[in-house]
Amino acid sequence: MPQQPVAEDDSTPVDGGTVIRRLQADINTLNPVLIASKYDHYVAAYLFTPLLQLDANLLPTTAGSLTDKYEVSPDGKLYTFHLNPKATFSDGTPVRASDAVFSLNKIVDPKSESAEFAGWFEKLDAAGTKALDDHTLVVAFKEARAPQLVSFNGVRVIPEHVYAKGDFKSAFGMSAVGSGPYRLVRRIPGKEILLERRSDYWGVPPHIQNVLFKIIGDDNTAWNALKRGDIDETIIGSDTWMNESRRPELQKTIDFRRFYMASYNFIAWSEHEPLLADKRVRRALAMCVDMQSVINGLYRGTARAMNGPFTPDQWSYNPEVPVIQFNPEGARQILNSMGWLDTDGDGILDKNGKPFSVEMIIAGGSSTSVAFTQLYQAELKKAGIDLKISPLDGGAYIQRLVSGNFQAAYASWDLDPDPDPNAIYHSSQFPPGGQNFVFYKNPAADALIDQGRHELDHAKRVAIYRQLHALLADDQPYTWTVQVSLKWALTKRIRNAKVSPGWGLFLWYPGELDWWIPKSQQTK
Amino acid sequence: MLTYVVRRLLYGVLTFFGITIAIFVLVHSVPGDPVSFYIGSHGMGALSHAALDEIRREHHLDQPIPQQYGWWLRGIVTFDFGTSFINHRPVTALIAEKLPSTFMLNLVAFLVAALIGVPIGLWSATRSGRTSERASGVAFFLLYSLPSFWVALLLMQLFSVHFHILPLFGMTSDDYLDRGLTSKVADRAMHLILPVVTLAYAQMAIYARFSKSALTEVIRQDFITTARAKGATSAAVLWHHALRNALIPLITLLGLTLPYLVSGSVIVEEIFQWDGIGRLYFDAISTRDYPTILGLSVATAVATLFASLLADILYAVADPRIRLEGK
Repeated sequence: MPQQPVAEDDSTPVDGGTVIRRLQADINTLNPVLIASKYDHYVAAYLFTPLLQLDANLLPTTAGSLTDKYEVSPDGKLYTFHLNPKATFSDGTPVRASDAVFSLNKIVDPKSESAEFAGWFEKLDAAGTKALDDHTLVVAFKEARAPQLVSFNGVRVIPEHVYAKGDFKSAFGMSAVGSGPYRLVRRIPGKEILLERRSDYWGVPPHIQNVLFKIIGDDNTAWNALKRGDIDETIIGSDTWMNESRRPELQKTIDFRRFYMASYNFIAWSEHEPLLADKRVRRALAMCVDMQSVINGLYRGTARAMNGPFTPDQWSYNPEVPVIQFNPEGARQILNSMGWLDTDGDGILDKNGKPFSVEMIIAGGSSTSVAFTQLYQAELKKAGIDLKISPLDGGAYIQRLVSGNFQAAYASWDLDPDPDPNAIYHSSQFPPGGQNFVFYKNPAADALIDQGRHELDHAKRVAIYRQLHALLADDQPYTWTVQVSLKWALTKRIRNAKVSPGWGLFLWYPGELDWWIPKSQQTK
Repeated sequence: MLTYVVRRLLYGVLTFFGITIAIFVLVHSVPGDPVSFYIGSHGMGALSHAALDEIRREHHLDQPIPQQYGWWLRGIVTFDFGTSFINHRPVTALIAEKLPSTFMLNLVAFLVAALIGVPIGLWSATRSGRTSERASGVAFFLLYSLPSFWVALLLMQLFSVHFHILPLFGMTSDDYLDRGLTSKVADRAMHLILPVVTLAYAQMAIYARFSKSALTEVIRQDFITTARAKGATSAAVLWHHALRNALIPLITLLGLTLPYLVSGSVIVEEIFQWDGIGRLYFDAISTRDYPTILGLSVATAVATLFASLLADILYAVADPRIRLEGK
């Protein structure tokens, strides 16, 4: 039924009601170790409790976690967790430290194929990791790393007496026994997942009684479903945002939100390409990105410019680094000074008889990638640079990107909660095997990345990463372009839906676990 | 008749093996593999190379293509299509889970299209050349040309968002499991209406035009004139003399339609969130989930082979001359 306009009478949280969430695709599994998509995470966040939560600023916290307190040894290799003795699984059994050891072992066992989490625990010292007693857990590592603490957010503890029986990879996709505030009522593949609040929950109980996930792949269908009140939240596209979010009759019942996630777009310049190996060339190419036109024209003002490798929402961000200004004439001057001149008068710069021409691979399915590269191509042409655009099918594009088989590529990263950039800029991470697919190598950057990785003092890490931010921005291994905001629509009966800078509405603590629905609107 | 059927069956088996080779080579020659999909969809740093190697080993991706084909063929002849890369469930279970939904939707759409389209086609054949027939011809051509995703959105906007009389998406309501039997059937029927209309309107146009032209062809022939000259009523001419001869092209069309009962429609299933084979196929292709893509391709190929076999047999039933040639 259509929703009633919301009265402004209620400000105290009350229990009860059903929130209906949308999944863009069915989950792959309910097994929290095998998670492979963000939708799997969305559901797991209600059913399982991790060793540590992340707060709205993506910093580790014990609030809402299985841990009462934790200590890190001075050498940074031993983590001792004192688990909440009241914690129980949904089958009524207590959460023991041995269950956490079991969960960690399942994550690192290659046979589990835990692609999402195993990489975080590559340096786990399995022999030193043990349960001291029922509620004390020691996790040992062969090497101390500052980002390690955040990785405990991925350790959602599962009961050994349940998950040790049967084939781990296939037996727990449809059922769940966790220590989270909700229990699974049913999962109907392709249709829905229904959760209900545990009456025997040991932690701070949430307000919402039932959580129903409906699977709706099509964005248009989901937007219509939200308007009808069939669902309570959905991501919306830029068109819906532009055309519908200002309509007064919709604003009565729908809460429109816009926020930035920890992700950005960038142009990758391969340094295996002699033309692009000089940072002056990369800077000249960056000066040809007409950022204001891209933001206002392509994204209608719902994006913001990047100045380097970290986003404004990350604590590693350096606000003093300037955004490279659009200046095609300046770019041409830089290239002229390097001997690139238009000697044959064809409008394209050349040197030793070779024209300045670059091929850029893009994911052909993304209309904004296509539009961006076409705008960029036109600006580069004015500066005397020929850009060839190669749109590829998704799988082929990813394969060429991660193997470093390209001159230039337009891509985007979703960032991890910890800003450690080792995986993408350190010279030890060249493909195959690593993700430094631009083959960037600067000993000064390597040194700062190593320091940041091993510095356990947060304030000192901040200083290191700010320095690294300036250095990388100067070297331009990527030309970081924009962050594009996400747009969300929520029904107004949902109260206390807060946004984390960088993580959005979900998966941080308390986030979606702190929502509530006024009594008068709990039934519909 | 028996030798005819046996020969057709043998051709079918040979074609089947040809198809498996073609599908396998095609799927594996598309750039990008499931493991690079994993790399692409997981953020930086969290990748475990041991886990990726284990995925390659388990699915034989580390072996040469001919050997991979051997493993796969060994599986399918024993009805083991392997397990999905993505959700680790057996492909046979995935297909068995989605097949009934797709089959029901497409069967209803087929029946609606055929039961409306064919009679209209036959009716218009008898008034070939008149204004009413010409007008219906134009109308059907327009119907056939309307893109289904657009029609689907219009139908949803009108009947679900504006009038609230039909459900917007899905196969059942939220409270389906708590309903009684009649209420369950009614609920399913309500959810069927919009997707069936979306699927059926273009099919119906095809059936109408196809049966019209088949019958028109027959009506022009000399034996019809002879029958009329004998003094048979026009109804008798149509039923006894013309219709049976017009059946052959309709059987061909039936043979072409039947595989859709199994393969589903990606667009309609995606828009209406109909949890069937079309969506499974689409998801499997976009994630390079080899076992699922291959399993579905084999299932569709078998359905196509079966349908063409059925059409061949029906030809023989409808037309004795084909039976004689088969001997």
